[in-house]
Amino acid sequence: MNLYLLQIMNGVGIGMLYFLIAVGLSVIFGLLRFVNFAHGAFFMMGAYLAYTVSVSFNWGFWAALLVVPPVTFLLAILLEQTLLRHAYHLPHTAQILLTFGLSMVLQELAIVIWGTDGLHMPTPGALAGVVQWGSFIYPKYRLFVTGFTAVLAALLWWLLEGTRLGSLVRAGSEYGDMMALLGYDTRKVFMYVFGLGVALAALSGALAAPLRGVEPFMGLTGLGIAFVVVVIGGMGSFPGALIGGLLVGILQSVLSSAWPEMAQPVIYICMAVILIARPHGLMGRG
Amino acid sequence: MDRQATKQAGIRAVELLAMPIALILLPMVLPGYLQANEVVIYAIAVLGSALLFGYTGLMSFGQGAFYGMGAYGCGWVGTALGGSLPEMLLAGAALGTLSALIVGYFSIRQRGVYFVMLTLAFAQLFYFLAYSFRGLTGGDNGMTDIPRPPLSIGNLRFLNLDSPAAFYTFCAILFLLAYLAVRRIVQSPFGTTLIAIRENENRARAIGNEVMLFKLAAFAFSGFLTGLAGALHASFLGIASLTGIDLDMSQTILAMTIIGGGTLGGSLAGPLFYIVLSSWLSTIWPRWPMLIGFILIAIGLYCPDGLWEGLRSALRKAMRMGGARHVSN
Repeated sequence: MNLYLLQIMNGVGIGMLYFLIAVGLSVIFGLLRFVNFAHGAFFMMGAYLAYTVSVSFNWGFWAALLVVPPVTFLLAILLEQTLLRHAYHLPHTAQILLTFGLSMVLQELAIVIWGTDGLHMPTPGALAGVVQWGSFIYPKYRLFVTGFTAVLAALLWWLLEGTRLGSLVRAGSEYGDMMALLGYDTRKVFMYVFGLGVALAALSGALAAPLRGVEPFMGLTGLGIAFVVVVIGGMGSFPGALIGGLLVGILQSVLSSAWPEMAQPVIYICMAVILIARPHGLMGRG
Repeated sequence: MDRQATKQAGIRAVELLAMPIALILLPMVLPGYLQANEVVIYAIAVLGSALLFGYTGLMSFGQGAFYGMGAYGCGWVGTALGGSLPEMLLAGAALGTLSALIVGYFSIRQRGVYFVMLTLAFAQLFYFLAYSFRGLTGGDNGMTDIPRPPLSIGNLRFLNLDSPAAFYTFCAILFLLAYLAVRRIVQSPFGTTLIAIRENENRARAIGNEVMLFKLAAFAFSGFLTGLAGALHASFLGIASLTGIDLDMSQTILAMTIIGGGTLGGSLAGPLFYIVLSSWLSTIWPRWPMLIGFILIAIGLYCPDGLWEGLRSALRKAMRMGGARHVSN
């Protein structure tokens, strides 16, 4: 029983990381009907940047958590302004080519800078070791990831539901043209949301690095997971990304002890079932 | 015969002759049969991808899964069952078709970018199955010692395929047959319907076509050819490994298709460009796939309606400018 409790707790932590990758992809799609195939590459970039800051510069893990989001936010805004905004009016195949090409460029860039071999990122000192309740022991770092991402999710929820930017985002995803007609600068909203989504994916990479290591192909893996999460949860939906992420994380973790061969394949089977039963995802409209 | 018809027959003859001539020239132009082999094997996979992307308008990131399943199918029949070459290839093509039907069945429930995401996600299902069931696939090490038996039916031996030249001849003939078959398909009423779906899916549906069945059939054809290519590659290299089924493979096949413009003739040109570029650049610049990334970005930005359409309009523009200068002179 303890084993399954442990796996469910692991699953919640991993699921929250999946949520962080997927939520940006989902909200950007809701706003622009634009899917960024380079989104996974930013997950990878986040992990590499965290490694560089905490290991190569030896500034420590906390500095990495502080540095990664703003740096990737600015990088994303730069890319949006110079390249991606020209893609919004293009047919979807051209958008995919553009962003997929970008993902290849970023992946190769990572290999040029950091090499193809996986890098090990140590768990920060204060979070090494385990906590113990009676007979139940649990790694401190995983507990931290769950708590930290839960606070972050609450903040994001408040940002979307309780602030002016949030109401602009929600209005934009319902009636984008109407907002533009009313005189709002929708392009600016897109820009900030894009930057935020990318920064969250990168932060997810930074948090995942001590758990899974850092390697150049984690971007494509992250992209695949993010797609599964948004298909399960529903494109464009914030609660959908949360529920989808948790479901995928918990399923994977529990099966990794119960039936290890199916731990990875099962999430795609789950996605197939949801596509048949609820084509727009668990929380999707339509 | 009137003039128009003669001209059309002439064009058709040139079209039909160009491909065999290209296939004969290919090993002479390239440094060796090994590279020529790579090109024609990929060209078969790209034909399958062009049928989906170029003609039906379905951009699939699942091609790597069909290719990899074809390689494993060929490997299983070749090693465990000791099958003949046709049996190995047919097994590969059959598994390619099956996996394409699975990816297609779920993905065509959505359209546009959502569809593309689904093909990518379902392709990962096959990767992780191959990765997790090591007993069947050899996991990271892959399946080794896949044979390349001579081409024979029963006791009749037609061709020994040990030498690269013989295997190239065999693959080139298979590619030519596949090319003619796909050409026939796209010129048939079936193919016209696929093009109608690409151009305007709602209208194609409204005039009474079972759009879903047509899309699924396109996936099946595509999976058959891609699986066949994967099987040929496995028999050619003697191994089937995870690199044949991962997203990188899907990405490679799709990039070749797009560089070839999604056309049938481009099915040979795309892989040729890609493989020549890679062998030329890989010694001086190991990270050459970055260049492919930049090429894809440029095609997306400047030729959003496909490479040929982009080149054609650029040419028109250039000719207009040339013409204007001519007039002003």
